[in-house]
Amino acid sequence: MEGVLWYVLTGTRGGANRVRLLRTLDERPRNANQLADDLDLDYKTVRHHLDVLMDNGVIENSGDDYGAVYLITGQTRQHWDTVEEIIGKVE
Amino acid sequence: MGLWIDVARVSTALNVLLLLGLSYVWLRNYVQFRSKQTLGLSVFSVLLLAENALAFYVYTWDQIRTAWFATAVPPVAWHAMLALHVLEFFALSFLLWATWD
Repeated sequence: MEGVLWYVLTGTRGGANRVRLLRTLDERPRNANQLADDLDLDYKTVRHHLDVLMDNGVIENSGDDYGAVYLITGQTRQHWDTVEEIIGKVE
Repeated sequence: MGLWIDVARVSTALNVLLLLGLSYVWLRNYVQFRSKQTLGLSVFSVLLLAENALAFYVYTWDQIRTAWFATAVPPVAWHAMLALHVLEFFALSFLLWATWD
């Protein structure tokens, strides 16, 4: 999981925005629309990053399709120190 | 041997372009994250970029070596050289596809 986090968050073009998404979801779960508003990002960009994070098991959603709320998985919580280390480097 | 050297030029030139893309993403991320992982990716892409730029230069502008490659290298050796360049092209294409995410 640590390797996945480093790769998904720092090895790819969209890494920096995914870090911002995780930081925002850490405060409280939100849906894609709220994330786009809160981070001032394009809705489609947010959807894309959410899909990548879901595919890699970093976040999960509540499953109610439209308006689904995204939250951080237990697996990611276990390695939250890694995420914090990465977040610390963006600031 | 004209065809072989053309294929070698094209594949190393394409590798240079792919590596410019990878280096762009990884160096930019290194500036932002300053982590060991992004440093490793950056150094890897820059060195492989240098390798392919050197190969392209040798095949294209270095007159002595180009003449030597074009006249003195037998096809059996070219096949192996080209296989390396072309395999590297596919490897880098997939890496860029995954990294451009």
